[in-house]
Amino acid sequence: MFTTSIIILGIFLCAFGGFVVYDLATAKKHREVYRVKSSATAYLMLLPAVILAFLFILLPILYSLGYAFTDYYLLKPNDINFVFLENFAGIFKEISAKGMLYNAIKNTVTFVVGVVPLQIGIALLLALFVNRPGFGSKIFKVCFFAPVVISLSITAFLWEQILAPGEGGLLNAMLGIFGVPPHDWLRDPKTAMPCIIVLSAWQGCGYQMLIFLSGLSNIRKDLYEAAALDGANWWHKFWLVTWVGLRSTFVYILITVFIGACRILTQPMLMTGYMSHTVTLSYYMYNIGYTERWVGESSAVALLMTIFIGGITLIQRRLFREK
Amino acid sequence: MKKLFTSITSILLAVMMLLGMTACGGDNGSGDGPSTDAEGNTIVKIMFHVDKSSTEGQAYQKRINAFNDAYKDKKIKAQAIFKARSAGASGYETELQNNQLEGTLADIITFDAPNTAAYANSGLLHDISNLISADEQDKFYSLNKYNGKLYGLPIQESSAGFFYNKKIFRDAGIDVSGFTAENPWTFEQFKDVCARLKNHGVTAVDMRIDATKDETAPYLLYPFIYAAGGEFVSEDGYTATGYYNSAATANGFQFIKDLISAGYTSYAIGATDFFTGKVGMYLSSGWTIPDLDNKYREQFASRDDWGLLPYPKGTEAASATGSWSYAITNNHHEDKTAALELLKWMTSAESSKAITDATGMIPARKDAVKDYAAGSPEYTLMKQLELSGKERPVTVAYPTFSTTFNQIIAGLGNGDVNQLLNAATSTLQDAMNKIKDR
Repeated sequence: MFTTSIIILGIFLCAFGGFVVYDLATAKKHREVYRVKSSATAYLMLLPAVILAFLFILLPILYSLGYAFTDYYLLKPNDINFVFLENFAGIFKEISAKGMLYNAIKNTVTFVVGVVPLQIGIALLLALFVNRPGFGSKIFKVCFFAPVVISLSITAFLWEQILAPGEGGLLNAMLGIFGVPPHDWLRDPKTAMPCIIVLSAWQGCGYQMLIFLSGLSNIRKDLYEAAALDGANWWHKFWLVTWVGLRSTFVYILITVFIGACRILTQPMLMTGYMSHTVTLSYYMYNIGYTERWVGESSAVALLMTIFIGGITLIQRRLFREK
Repeated sequence: MKKLFTSITSILLAVMMLLGMTACGGDNGSGDGPSTDAEGNTIVKIMFHVDKSSTEGQAYQKRINAFNDAYKDKKIKAQAIFKARSAGASGYETELQNNQLEGTLADIITFDAPNTAAYANSGLLHDISNLISADEQDKFYSLNKYNGKLYGLPIQESSAGFFYNKKIFRDAGIDVSGFTAENPWTFEQFKDVCARLKNHGVTAVDMRIDATKDETAPYLLYPFIYAAGGEFVSEDGYTATGYYNSAATANGFQFIKDLISAGYTSYAIGATDFFTGKVGMYLSSGWTIPDLDNKYREQFASRDDWGLLPYPKGTEAASATGSWSYAITNNHHEDKTAALELLKWMTSAESSKAITDATGMIPARKDAVKDYAAGSPEYTLMKQLELSGKERPVTVAYPTFSTTFNQIIAGLGNGDVNQLLNAATSTLQDAMNKIKDR
């Protein structure tokens, strides 16, 4: 594997070198002396970063792409065979048989559909709330951002205590005051995923709130004054000034939250374990690839997932592009 | 301009040559002979799954130091590598797999017993059947065997049982003094005690049915299935159909489900409920003994306040066994002489005693077992191990078995036992077929 990596790196460097030489030759042909010098310097300075990016980003992607077409079993790393589309056939068979992969897709879609609007909605509301100058806005900013800096494993553990079954769970104890019987929130298929959605939105919205805040700070105040002079009410000001001003920020947040949501792994892993009602695509990939050691199959799922996320992201960009 | 092109091309060529040399260097590292240091010592590397600073890690290091002193004249030197396993991410196993991939496997590794089949099948472990004499093999409670061949020797043994709160039992008027490892209680007697504890107003037993995120539930609960006469897989480890979903296996799981249905146990029992006097019994392994001896003094001031009961028997008696083991690897060193010397040293009676003194677990060797007082928790565990210890299923698809077992336990509350077993069997059989075809 090491030797293969070096060979691939060599090919990549040759291609990069070829590109550099071509670019400089083109510049020279057009007698752009200044561009030749500055480009050469830039390429040389770029080289260490390019090598690192290749080693730690591009190379793993290339390997994963390649493994998707092999029967790579983690305990037999020296016996990898090319199986063409066999892994993909297995994936579709698993989906049609409504196996664990089917559940993983269903749960991931449920999570994405639930968490993306919830998280973005809460983040926007919080941003609007703390954006108003007044007593305590800084304290609120810190409070709302605090969950972001806490490790996901810690928040998952804390929420596990909150949602603990029986009367010992904080939520059950609170509901018990109103006569609601205790519930096993994380074991009940109907409530487990909604709980994970709420936890994730709570944990992540502080970060999006900050981005919205930076977007809000870029909206000129005179637009609001003009709108007020025109008799605009609160809703008109929000819809016609704030929302329009936040459009590009919203698209960025939508895409990043969507991608993040598609990759959810830690919360179900720590809070419920590998269960059919909470398994997600990333957790499925982890389990197949690491626990059960089928790297080939796991890579095939990763490839399909990447294509799916990429496709949806492109659609999002097209839908929200500036006209 | 020409100068610039020449410089860029020279740098690129230099980098490629350098990398090319490094690549060749990587291949040179996998020679066939044993590694030696500057003083001519043969170096044997051993990788442990615990942190060096832990009590267990320190015990290993002491034994390694003692080995190095004893083998100074024979010019063999052991080097310990500590790679603490992390929960969830299975960091230790990932390290092993990476080492195998890179050709940098240690000469001896430690590994969890259920992985024997998968590791042996993949060629990771060296067959030591002919290197360890039959007499020596007889000295161990259990051996890491696959397809009739010996691949590893256990570091220590573990067993589990039901810790019980003597005060609660006394208050409820329950006498369990007759239930010993030699004379275990039956499933019916177990249910009867649970019923009386429930009537007394406490949760009868924490069966750990909520511990389904890792190996805890499979390790603690699999003996119930064997005790009911059930099986998980065929002897060769490649068939689950007809075993995992057999009627006897279903009876074992049904017993656990009955305990849930009757309200004797539940998924809602808190992790410390037994230790704070809310639960009568607690299913756990020997590692709970130090906790009861040293923590929770308010509830359990001395050993007069708690005791340990064996697993109940159904059609037969069965109890949990298995812990981590040592194995010689099939790494690039073909000469295993030095590795064998170290393996024998680490599995000797002296090492076994030293390590179990640190961990509080049962020695893997019969000749290293201490004289526990009859009726003590340690005695119960040791005796149970001797009389009814049965290992977890030996199969190359053990990770899938563990996952499906957890799913069954998690589903027992609301699900039908046979439906759960059929789904689990189908998943496990598919996994086995896949590895067999591979």
